[in-house]
Amino acid sequence: MTYPTRLPRGGVDPPAEILVPRGSGIENAAIPSRALIPLLQHSGKPALCLVKLGDSVREGMLIGKADGSHSANVHASIPGVVVEVRDLPLPSGEVCIAVAIELGGEFETSGKPRTRREWTSLSRLELLDRIRRAGVVGLGGGSLPTHLKLTVPPGSSSSILVANGVDSEPSLCADDALLREKASDIVEGLRICQALLTPARTVIALGEHSEDLAAEYERLVSQEGLRVEVVVLPSRYPHGHEQLVLAALGGSPPGDERSATVLNVGTLYAVFEAVVLEKPLIERVLTVTGFPVSSPRNLKVRFGTGIRDLLEECGGLRSEAAKIVMGGPMRGVSVDSLDLPVTKGTSGIVAFGGREARRRTELPCINCGSCIEACPWGLVPTRLSKLVRMGNAVAAAREGLSRCTECGCCAYSCPSRIPLVAVLREGKRALRGPDA
Amino acid sequence: MPDVEDRAGPAAFSLMPAPHLSVGMSTSRMTWLVSLCLLPAAGWGVFLFGTPALIVLVVSVCAAVLAELAATLPFRRFTLPDGSAVLTGFIVGLLMPAGVPAFVPAAASAFAILVVKQTFGGLGRNWMNPAMGGVVFALLSWPGLMSQWITPRGGSAQAAVMPPLGALRAALGAPGVKDATPLAVLSRAGFTFSDIDSQVVGWINSHVLAPLGTALAPGTFDVLVGHVAGGIGTVSAPFLLLGAWFLLSRGVIRWHLPVCYAGTFSLLAAIFGGLGTGQGWFAGGPGFHLLSGSLVLGAFYAAPDPVTSPLTNRGKCIFGVGLGILTFLLRFFGSLGDGVAASIVLGNCASPLLDRWTSRRATEDVREGAA
Amino acid sequence: MKSGLVLSKSMLSENPIAMLFLGLCPALAVSVRVIDALWMSVGVILVLVLSGLAMALLSRHGEVDRGSAAAGLLRALVITSFLTASFEAGLLSLAPTASAALGIYAPLIAVNCLVLGRGMPGVTSPSLGSSVAAALGRGIGFAASLVLIALVREALGAGTITLFPVGGFGGTIEIPLLVEQPVRALGFAGGGLLCLGYLAAAARVISGRAAAKSAGKEAA
Repeated sequence: MTYPTRLPRGGVDPPAEILVPRGSGIENAAIPSRALIPLLQHSGKPALCLVKLGDSVREGMLIGKADGSHSANVHASIPGVVVEVRDLPLPSGEVCIAVAIELGGEFETSGKPRTRREWTSLSRLELLDRIRRAGVVGLGGGSLPTHLKLTVPPGSSSSILVANGVDSEPSLCADDALLREKASDIVEGLRICQALLTPARTVIALGEHSEDLAAEYERLVSQEGLRVEVVVLPSRYPHGHEQLVLAALGGSPPGDERSATVLNVGTLYAVFEAVVLEKPLIERVLTVTGFPVSSPRNLKVRFGTGIRDLLEECGGLRSEAAKIVMGGPMRGVSVDSLDLPVTKGTSGIVAFGGREARRRTELPCINCGSCIEACPWGLVPTRLSKLVRMGNAVAAAREGLSRCTECGCCAYSCPSRIPLVAVLREGKRALRGPDA
Repeated sequence: MPDVEDRAGPAAFSLMPAPHLSVGMSTSRMTWLVSLCLLPAAGWGVFLFGTPALIVLVVSVCAAVLAELAATLPFRRFTLPDGSAVLTGFIVGLLMPAGVPAFVPAAASAFAILVVKQTFGGLGRNWMNPAMGGVVFALLSWPGLMSQWITPRGGSAQAAVMPPLGALRAALGAPGVKDATPLAVLSRAGFTFSDIDSQVVGWINSHVLAPLGTALAPGTFDVLVGHVAGGIGTVSAPFLLLGAWFLLSRGVIRWHLPVCYAGTFSLLAAIFGGLGTGQGWFAGGPGFHLLSGSLVLGAFYAAPDPVTSPLTNRGKCIFGVGLGILTFLLRFFGSLGDGVAASIVLGNCASPLLDRWTSRRATEDVREGAA
Repeated sequence: MKSGLVLSKSMLSENPIAMLFLGLCPALAVSVRVIDALWMSVGVILVLVLSGLAMALLSRHGEVDRGSAAAGLLRALVITSFLTASFEAGLLSLAPTASAALGIYAPLIAVNCLVLGRGMPGVTSPSLGSSVAAALGRGIGFAASLVLIALVREALGAGTITLFPVGGFGGTIEIPLLVEQPVRALGFAGGGLLCLGYLAAAARVISGRAAAKSAGKEAA
């Protein structure tokens, strides 16, 4: 059953077109000659480094061990020799240890068919172990270690499980490409999660431009005999956000205290690879796009590949490129170095030309109320930002500052070009304390 | 194809906070658009009233610009590009009678910019609509000069004396005048309209309405088109509405405030307007009153000023209703002009309160918004 | 506290009208013409200084109960009313037009002075010098603010400046352009409040700068 459901409120329609030609599929990016792999590609504590300078590593070898339960394993995405172990400042502002591997040696698993392992007889713990060992984290933006998300108290179940195939940012289409090429694998991954969570309701949520896939997915799930709904959600940013997807689907029935789980389809594919192929997470699909990019496309990229290599692979940057963003145009971080590596959390790389990247003059707030109409969470961004700027983050917290997800709808719609997201982020930082 | 390696170091890429997309309509573009949409009405006013009108408009805009420069340049700010000073001066000028001596719009504009706007911190910080504050200042300071009307081109001689609204007041003051519509009252009182009006109305009456048994009152055409004495920009309702329709379609103003304002006022005028003047219930002549005075300009251009009107759509509706009530009271039972500028100024005081009343509670759940 | 310091403090940083917003009612009403403001100032200064002197003398030398607040208030009321009535009578006989112009605000000087006299060092630290200085300071501060506002309001709002008639001078200076078309808005109470607001802002800026300067001097 497919039905378009409405976003509860707010949201914006940025006119960002998908520049990747329709039907162009996913290409494998060239293996980088040098991979710089950070040991923090997830939310939680960085992995503990297991290698040192000069060590030779195999493809898929564990090079970073999860530090405790709120952490994830990190694997080498290319075979070779460790040539550098250094501190790397990440675009998020944090600094972590990164391992640089120079390509060398043979590819033990790439290019060779992998045997499919049986998993239906495995217990929950064994399934979670396979997922944890492979270092699977959420690929939809949160980067939460997936084995944590799929863990429910013994004997209980989830209220709803959603496969989120809605691309979370405008002009990114990796999820759509993955849905087209790996349909049966994604459904298998969904089956695995169903086995782990035994949810009362399972939904595959598709974005509007994936609408034509609905029929195929319905056919697939009925073939497998699965009880799964297929739903198409309207394309209005930030429709791909977990909570909004849940709200659009009606959420948990009132009174149902069980958890709701939303997993990105890329994560489901990684779960499939981890459980069925016993393959560690060493690559992901992302979109390289933007007007200055000569030929935008979806690429399957090994972690540690530099942005520079990817842009070259897409035909290079035209000279008017003035801003490079890791992530999407609404929430991504702008970077000034092309030598930063792709990590598990990188969903896209967007380049902006001169006019788009122009710094906009900030004018005073004119009380137009556009930000209030745009906020999907019902906040009043103008008031919150004024409180934060006056130094009163506590009052802002009382009015809901912590519910802000930094989606960017308010700053997008502000005609005075006030950097609302940055101000609110400052406010949240102020709340955490001066030492944060 | 330029090699990616050619890119110079970090300085080549700008670092900016997310989001990296922005809606097309910016504040300065909105303000300049409003000024643009006032041009047709201004043009009509200059056509009707001639060079004096042009001088008034130029003087008031220049005075506003100079005042803005005087208030911002010493602090090393240059705020003219945001368009608000020009817009304020423009609106002040449009509300002036064409025959007013130049120092009045100059003083009104200067007051609007220096006292109402810049004293409180400039754009976004004022609590009173600057143009309306300036107009009220002028009305209080030089009441006689603010009634120096000019005959519109091709208008009747009597039109030079006063606009229909004022004439109506005078006519209703005389005892024993009881009639249905304001225009009928005026023709009873001997107020004459232009030749064009009598031709057009006469033609319509004889060719279109006579078979139907009704007739338009003389003066309908003049009042509709704005061929009467009045403020330079306030007489031309059709041109103002044209510009307003453009602004509404672009999303620069929202319909809630103007519709509630004009609607409430018309309703009150229709039902109660006749009472104070002895005409009885439901005899107020809402159409006449909507088109007289600065109501159209006030409702569509001045009151929706985002800085001084409420934030939320619900608040805007309440604000509009309040303004309608105030304008009705001030116009029918008060003595300060046509009541629009004063009621907007009074209503601005209530905006922050309306914001507080109609803002969302912070604890509202996201699912409560789903209809 | 030194008398000089008290004097200057009462005039500037504790100016009754501009900083403390005391006595606004007569201030707004009487500041429409300069001459009225001048007469009002004369009355206020006289009554304030004389009553301050009397109160200080009484608390030093009189057989009075220092501790009772009610008794103090009663004393103040009687002295101030007596002085105000005397001033009124004097004004009526010396300058009847001025008395008529001041109208109800002449007897209201008593109330005004009681209000202005709040918190003055009279009973608390009965040093004669500081009592007189405080009273004089407040009076002069009141007068200065009042006359300043009146100058602006009359010059712009009526186009004239009315002063004491001296010799051949009739008392009214007319400003050429303004007298024909004055800015009548300033003649209303709202316009008066506007002038008051700007005066208060200016006073705060000046006293803020003075405080910063003296703080800088102390630190140096």
